Amino acid sequence: MDENLNSGSIPYVSEASVSVEIETEDMTLNIGPQHPSTHGVLRLVAKVDGEKISSVEPVLGYMHRGYEKLAEVRTYPQITTLVNRIDWVSGFANEIPFIAATEKLMEIEAPERAKHIRLILTEMARIASHFVFNGAYALEIGALTPIFLAMEDRERILDLIESVTGGRFHPNFNRIGGIKPAAGSGPTTKKNIQDLPAGFYQDTRDAMEKVLEAVERMENLVGGNEVFKIRTKGVGIISKELAEEYGVSGPILRASGVKFDLRSQTDFLPYDKFDYDIPIGENGDCYDRWYVRLMEMKESAKIILQAIDSMPSGPLQTKVPKVIKVPKGQSYVRTENPKGEMGYYVISEGGLGPYRLKVRTPSFSNISILPVLLEGQLLPDLIAIMGSLDFVLGDVDR
Amino acid sequence: MIDGSQVLVTAGIILAFALNGAVIFTILDVKGASWMQRRPGPLHVGLRGFIFPLAEIIKFFQKEDITPTNVDSAVFKWAPAYVLASVFGLFVVVPISPTLVGSDLDLGVFYLLAISSLSTLGVLTAGWSSANKYSLMGGIRAAGQLIAYELPLILAVVGVVIQAETMSLVGIVEKQIEFGLPFVLSGQGLAFLIFMVAATAEMMRVPFDMPIGESELVSGFLTEYSGVRFLIFYIAEYMNMFVLCAVASTLFLGGYHVPLLPTEWVNFYGPVVLLTKTVLLGFILVLVRWSFPRFREDQLQNLAWKVLIPLSLLNILITSIMKVVF
Amino acid sequence: MNLSNNVEFVESLTAAFPSLENSFDTLKITVKSSDWIDTVDKLKNEFELTYFSWLSAIDWDNEVAIGDPPKEPVTPHFEILCCLSDSFAGNLVIVSTQIDKETPQIPSLVGVFAGSNWHEREAYEMFGIEFINHPNLTKMYLPDDYEGNPMLKSFELISREVKPWPGEVDVEGMPDDGKEEGES
Repeated sequence: MDENLNSGSIPYVSEASVSVEIETEDMTLNIGPQHPSTHGVLRLVAKVDGEKISSVEPVLGYMHRGYEKLAEVRTYPQITTLVNRIDWVSGFANEIPFIAATEKLMEIEAPERAKHIRLILTEMARIASHFVFNGAYALEIGALTPIFLAMEDRERILDLIESVTGGRFHPNFNRIGGIKPAAGSGPTTKKNIQDLPAGFYQDTRDAMEKVLEAVERMENLVGGNEVFKIRTKGVGIISKELAEEYGVSGPILRASGVKFDLRSQTDFLPYDKFDYDIPIGENGDCYDRWYVRLMEMKESAKIILQAIDSMPSGPLQTKVPKVIKVPKGQSYVRTENPKGEMGYYVISEGGLGPYRLKVRTPSFSNISILPVLLEGQLLPDLIAIMGSLDFVLGDVDR
Repeated sequence: MIDGSQVLVTAGIILAFALNGAVIFTILDVKGASWMQRRPGPLHVGLRGFIFPLAEIIKFFQKEDITPTNVDSAVFKWAPAYVLASVFGLFVVVPISPTLVGSDLDLGVFYLLAISSLSTLGVLTAGWSSANKYSLMGGIRAAGQLIAYELPLILAVVGVVIQAETMSLVGIVEKQIEFGLPFVLSGQGLAFLIFMVAATAEMMRVPFDMPIGESELVSGFLTEYSGVRFLIFYIAEYMNMFVLCAVASTLFLGGYHVPLLPTEWVNFYGPVVLLTKTVLLGFILVLVRWSFPRFREDQLQNLAWKVLIPLSLLNILITSIMKVVF
Repeated sequence: MNLSNNVEFVESLTAAFPSLENSFDTLKITVKSSDWIDTVDKLKNEFELTYFSWLSAIDWDNEVAIGDPPKEPVTPHFEILCCLSDSFAGNLVIVSTQIDKETPQIPSLVGVFAGSNWHEREAYEMFGIEFINHPNLTKMYLPDDYEGNPMLKSFELISREVKPWPGEVDVEGMPDDGKEEGES
């Protein structure tokens, strides 16, 4: 102490120059598995420097239920109940690709009427899923009202789905070769097959009007808000190349300007009979992703209205053997799930159940882009970006 | 000299006013929210749910008061009381009517602004002592935000002070009565807007609720609080909202008086008028809260330093020039 | 059926990859494991299959702990599958290769498609396949101290051991089902 003072190396404190660069250690912030905006049990291990994120490592597996393994010990009809629960926000849409892949291997085709009903319910599931996104995303940005409005509007859709299938989230309505007769329509004999409940057409028309209204209201309430715009525009830009490289699909890919919608490439659902637009974004930022989903709800409502007007009559089931055995073969079928490309690769060895079932879920690939996307972003933007990817943990972990 | 009983009476009146204000604003917020969100809201307690804050308070008292293991216990426990006291102190100078005022200080405005910045420390220590990373970030965000918005708040009021030529709140109201128009309509419209924006940020309400920001920071500096201590923060939040709205109506909207009403009767209608004005301002805050998303931290700071402060300086300049000219 | 595998595309692909087979509208190319990266790279750059869909594996084995074994005996091996697509016409190709179970190793695709990172991690933990040059080959879903590779056919499903699944019983018609056809 005295030596220092006397040695004259630092004569006056005021003359000592501060040349030491202050190095701070990054703080490790554990976001999740229990956190209000991780959509369930996603865990992000983030290294943050103040508000700024230097790196993010997603940790998955808190919702891993091993469906691919379970599918190996189930028969084909049993698997439909499993796949319902992969993405529980749009349960019905999950069944379609699996049923389609199985039907293809069995070389059967569902009757036209069944296909139409499948299509209507798939689009309803899409609207319901996008309603959840719209509400939840506004909530994550900080606006509390839209979620209540969105949930109320979604309830109408769920009521319709329930009136047909008997289930709100997990309809388990598809059968190999057709669909199940509607819930509450009494015993099903050959004479008495009521596939759709009474008044379904009118109820659906009313509900679709309400959906169009709700979309407009949401566009004004959320999209017309300046704060929402400055929070989402230019935030979390995903380029076309990056999206494709990571297998990002669905509305996120379309928001990046890629006009790629698997609905136009299916023929097990009669999308080619209807007119609809594929909304695409320009910048690939959070705002575009939000806007593309909002516009998709409008298009889905249009498709449903057209499908109702052109509903063919006929049977609901094609003839299938009583015990379903699928011949040996391999088939991959993918469809446009509300969240992106949902596909099932069914490998059959001719048994009662598949030898292997690969489930390709959209959310898994969609959030694999997170570490790249979040580097260098601010903490509030992490929430904005994560929310705009619209993932469901069941869909990520399977 | 003020004797002891008068102090007690004054304190009692202020306490009643403050607590009732908090309750009124809680009801306003919750009922306003349910009205905007097309849902019934609280329905079952009392008169169509209108006395539910009572049930709320009882509920919080029943809850366990959890003190996590690693917290700085003394600071953690006393931070809520500190915040409440600092908010409560604001009520002292707010005139409910010309005579019904805790203390009509000559430096009323100065006192008000000085006291209102005290709560920053309470929030910061609450966040710091919680031993939680989210709380810490919330506390630091709150400190940054409160300091940033203190400045436009003060500068906006300076315009009023220049125009009124006094710092006493009663004096400011008297000046407005004398002038015949509240200040918001006679030169201080911009200052009123700046004051309200800054006050919203001081209250940490949407769109400035980043310190709490439940989708990012779980609950910010409140994360570790539960039971009674949470309740105290909750009351302080609504009391702060009430008092800032009351101050805004005093400074800009003519306080306890409305034009055309006879000034002789002001002692009778004064409290009602002030309350009405305050609730109307509160209602605007409720509308804003339930329709706006929240800003990002850097956008919030930009708004304060790059927009509000220059604007309020401009307002001071204009006001001074007008004062000299007329 | 689901894929607009147009004729020209299939023809150009067949010219480049004679092993192309079209089973139930799913195009599948089988290559040697040494050509794995080159094939994927070629498909990406020459056939515009720039969209990486998924990567996974199949455990082919005659002795299975659960489920049904293959109908015809197979030589035990892992089949690695990688699904690529384009993003305008919907052409889709599955690339397949085989590696033996003794040395389950294959070069990682991360250099070609960065998105294969997580898919390879999943295949690594589920099958125990080692992806060479993978930047972060750690477990994806399971706890770090978990032992075993659940998707292997030799891996027993404990719950099934304890309580057998009703299985085929469900497939039989319900008692009051009458002679309805098409009910499953």
